[in-house]
Amino acid sequence: MQNIKVKHPEVLAPAGTPEKLRVAIDYGADAVYIGGDAYGLRSRAGNFSFDEMAAGAAYAHERGAKVYVAANIVAHEQNLAGAGAFYRHVRDAGIDAVIVSDPSLIETAITEAPGLKVHLSTQASATNYETLNFWKNEGLERVVLAREVGIDEIKEIRQHTDIQIEAFIHGAMCIGYSGRCVLSNHLSLRDANRGGCAQNCRWKYDLFDLPENGQKRELMGHGPDGQLEKFSMSAVDMSMIEHIPDLVDAGVDSLKIEGRMKTIHYVSTVANVYSTAVRSYCADPEHYQLDPAWVDELWKVAQRELSTGFYYGVPDENFQLFGKRRRMPRYTFVGQVLAYDKASKQVTVQQRNNFGIGDTVEFYGPNFAHHSQKITDLYDDQNQPIDRAPHAMQVVHFTCAQAVQPGDFMRANEN
Amino acid sequence: MRTELVATVASLPQAKALLEAGADRLYLGEDYFGLRLPHSFDLDELAEVVQLTHQHHKKVTVAVNAIFHNDRIKKVGNYLRALQAMSVDEISVGDPGVIYLLQQLQITIPYIYDAADLVTSSRQINFWAKHQATAAVLAREVPYEEMVPLSKAIKIPVEVLVYGATVIHQSGRPLLRNYSNFVQEHLAETDRERGLFIAAPHHPETHYSIYEDVNGTHVFANNDVDLMTVLPKLWQLGLRRWKLDGLYADSQTFPQIVVAFDQARQLLDQQDNSVSLESQLQQLDVQVTHNQPNGRGLDLGFFDLDPNEVK
Repeated sequence: MQNIKVKHPEVLAPAGTPEKLRVAIDYGADAVYIGGDAYGLRSRAGNFSFDEMAAGAAYAHERGAKVYVAANIVAHEQNLAGAGAFYRHVRDAGIDAVIVSDPSLIETAITEAPGLKVHLSTQASATNYETLNFWKNEGLERVVLAREVGIDEIKEIRQHTDIQIEAFIHGAMCIGYSGRCVLSNHLSLRDANRGGCAQNCRWKYDLFDLPENGQKRELMGHGPDGQLEKFSMSAVDMSMIEHIPDLVDAGVDSLKIEGRMKTIHYVSTVANVYSTAVRSYCADPEHYQLDPAWVDELWKVAQRELSTGFYYGVPDENFQLFGKRRRMPRYTFVGQVLAYDKASKQVTVQQRNNFGIGDTVEFYGPNFAHHSQKITDLYDDQNQPIDRAPHAMQVVHFTCAQAVQPGDFMRANEN
Repeated sequence: MRTELVATVASLPQAKALLEAGADRLYLGEDYFGLRLPHSFDLDELAEVVQLTHQHHKKVTVAVNAIFHNDRIKKVGNYLRALQAMSVDEISVGDPGVIYLLQQLQITIPYIYDAADLVTSSRQINFWAKHQATAAVLAREVPYEEMVPLSKAIKIPVEVLVYGATVIHQSGRPLLRNYSNFVQEHLAETDRERGLFIAAPHHPETHYSIYEDVNGTHVFANNDVDLMTVLPKLWQLGLRRWKLDGLYADSQTFPQIVVAFDQARQLLDQQDNSVSLESQLQQLDVQVTHNQPNGRGLDLGFFDLDPNEVK
């Protein structure tokens, strides 16, 4: 019997730096999104110069991958000058599309940088198919849906429009409609829509009412552990690893991972897991099975609890951070493999964080290759035995039973 | 051009009072289609207000500015047809899907583009003008210094909030019910009438109103906006469509606030140099403060902020 393969959607990973861009693609991402020096919402992420964009695009294109530039601020009067030149430079660097939210910048990109493809950012909160049709008429290639859109809604949107659909599948979430939140502007004088979000939603607030007597009254309650619980608006993170078939079958063209501020450890791990899962499903949908190791792997880089967001209904209290935090398994990126000698079973590693004899480390590489190893010996670059590798970028070697590949990452459990 | 006063409506009797107080345009709608309204008017109630307003030779704007999901965008077409049939003068729109429908269905009601905090530049406003918007609601996060160049570049009028509550957050989640469920002390009511508010950490004096409705959870700025004393600056820039939002006002005294702004508008439009404008506005501002509900502060919002102060 012939297996029915389905077209596999793009796995789109964040890349805050040129190194992360290369790693994300090496670890299976079909596309990455990055930021430029201007117009992006992650002013503190390592942003790309036009030369770095060009180098990143070339690296990606050689490997059949794409690079998008997020330029999704909501511009004020003084931000408008120079936008056209910015988009032309982006286009000329070979970038595959820009991700834009502000209609004025969309218009600038289309009219002043002809040929540059434009995607509507999730910051514009597109939640229905007529909205997608509007943007299709404007000439956009793709719309990133609002994170409030459910799986059934995506299916219906797919039936009513043929513009490409991108949807978030993993990472941190805004608690509000993205773009429709200026808590940060008003509470911290930092513009959420121009890269300054201070994450005020995650603060702990006092809740009151004002009864007839005019004296305000506290209304806070206690959590199940008996502790006073203040009001908060903090979303847990999203992970759709257990629902890849639903997303593919709904017709999503691009599956997006949040996190341009995140570490190389996060980017490599998450890109690896999702690209493996998506390829596995699309190669043979009928016999697809979720590998529990994928889920375990994502928890190793999780910063908060994980949930399915709005995909299966409006999130209840379990989708918000209240009460005591569950202790996350904490893994640290401790080194990168430089070489492996099969005869002596010696792996040479460049240190990224302190590790040493007695630690159990885990190697992981593209295509979900994994190997765990307890360190029983350790030598510096003069072949002298040492107990620990305390220095950044220190080159050391030790015995590793199973072959690993240059470029593989090495992590250790902190707990 | 005469300065235009736009006022929200909470009831048919209040509509009458507002028209008599000097409002030129009434703003109202139904929660299912519009955001953060003092009252949710069904079509029959709406028709009564439209009729009354037209009898006074004034105008009506109906809110169609929700963030629509599929289930609701399907109902927008018929709603727009009904509004056109009752000769509504204008609608507010914040979701481009509605603009697409207006074109598809060849509905000719003019619209004012209103996407809350997102409308922040002249170029964006002119983008909507190209898509047949006849006006736009300026984000409250635009300081005066930015209004100066903006006012010279816009091709359609903008509406500025001169009095009332400013929304600073809209969530699709029931944030109050979720909290209440977690602490197992159910807040029986989480609607606007319940009068809930939150205070920021280390700032117990702050007062951010919060409520839930069919559009999710809404959070409002610490103080209501009151631009009475700086109206001449707006007027000089030619920004002369002024909105008074009575969402959190006392429905009985809100028309008195409209009266105060109507008097200010007359002073400016008539360019009467025989009186001290500044002292007159100070007195009218006392009238605004006097009619402001207990517990709600007033300030200039972002108006007098140096744009460089916002990082």
